Amino acid sequence: MSLTLEIVTPEARVYSDTIDSVVIPTVEGEVGILPGHIPLLTQVADGELRVTKGGATHFLAVGGGFAEVAGDRVQVLAEHAITEEKIDEHAVEDALKRAEAQLRDAAGSDPAEFEHLQEMVRFAGVQLALKRRRR
Amino acid sequence: MASTRDIRRRIKSVKNTRQITKAMELVAASKMKKAQQSALAGRPYAELMARMLAALADHVESSLHPFLATRAVKTRGIILITSDKGLCGPLNANVFKLVTDIKTPAKYAVIGRKGSQFIARTKRDLLADFSVSDRVAFSEVRVVAEFMMKQYLDGAVDTVEVIWPRFRNTLIQVPTALPLLPLTDLKAAVEGLHHDSGTVPVPAKAADSQMLFEPNPASVLDALLPLYINRQVYHQVLDSKASEHSARMVAMKTAKDNATKLLGDLTLEYNKARQAAITQEILEIAAAQFAAA
Repeated sequence: MSLTLEIVTPEARVYSDTIDSVVIPTVEGEVGILPGHIPLLTQVADGELRVTKGGATHFLAVGGGFAEVAGDRVQVLAEHAITEEKIDEHAVEDALKRAEAQLRDAAGSDPAEFEHLQEMVRFAGVQLALKRRRR
Repeated sequence: MASTRDIRRRIKSVKNTRQITKAMELVAASKMKKAQQSALAGRPYAELMARMLAALADHVESSLHPFLATRAVKTRGIILITSDKGLCGPLNANVFKLVTDIKTPAKYAVIGRKGSQFIARTKRDLLADFSVSDRVAFSEVRVVAEFMMKQYLDGAVDTVEVIWPRFRNTLIQVPTALPLLPLTDLKAAVEGLHHDSGTVPVPAKAADSQMLFEPNPASVLDALLPLYINRQVYHQVLDSKASEHSARMVAMKTAKDNATKLLGDLTLEYNKARQAAITQEILEIAAAQFAAA
């Protein structure tokens, strides 16, 4: 028996495949999901999502969202998501530097903008951590 | 009758106009395709969001969250989505007609330059204006939605509604007003999302009734509802972009066709004038010869 995993962001469907198991980072810690899991709706935290399929493990960086487990379907609704292969370390580093610089300038300005920048920094951090650890 | 030189000048100017409108039509056509594609890319997200809301709806009390509770409406909050640029036919004017119909006190947050100009001109209460780029990113729209949610929670406005030119097809854009907050009927909202994404609602399974919420239903609701509002507004902005580019394409196509027609008429007139001048000259020469003979 296998699971169907779907990860979508507002911009695109990032991942859709049949898998053996998945580990999702949630606000309450990591949750491992195997076939036959009880129906679950949970909040996803920034972090790495591990997908196991046929012995191989794939990594994705996800940032904020929700995950739903119903029957043999796992659906993740994320603000950001990117597969490990697609992470461009240099681009992310540049983006991180830019966002951090903006964050310093923006301190005390529009809170929504500030929060958005913080989110970018967090997600960039997650991507970098994932990429570096895998080398 | 106008002189041949005047007509030639007009022909030249109409030709230039036709060239410009033709170029604008092509640009709008390619942008329209992109806008429609990005509207489509948001559909899986809409679908999933709808299913999660539906699952949640059965498990929560409407008093649990301020977004779910109705209150007396003193001031309406309206998000008005328009284009930045003109030359797109009656698109913005149609949307403004809906705004003009609002007689009760209302405050506005506007996306797009045309809208903020209109609100300022008609001396309505403008809370804030935003602009978004041509390829709208989710983060740009989030700022707008979050601003309005804050106004709602602070009590500055008692509803949040969106007025935008809804995209039906390339020829038809319908100016639409849709209430977002309060979410009096979560089920209706879910059906609306299904309608947006063009899917049939998935019937709730028995297993859904024992769904586990982590950490708990209230906090999931706290996080999911703002996200739902964000997505809804994002979808509407994408929609209005698709509308804008289609309206512009159609307007420019009409302008181009008109220019072509005008050009035909002018060319005919020019040829007539030229022929008349030649005939006149021949007559004069012939008359002069007669006189000399």
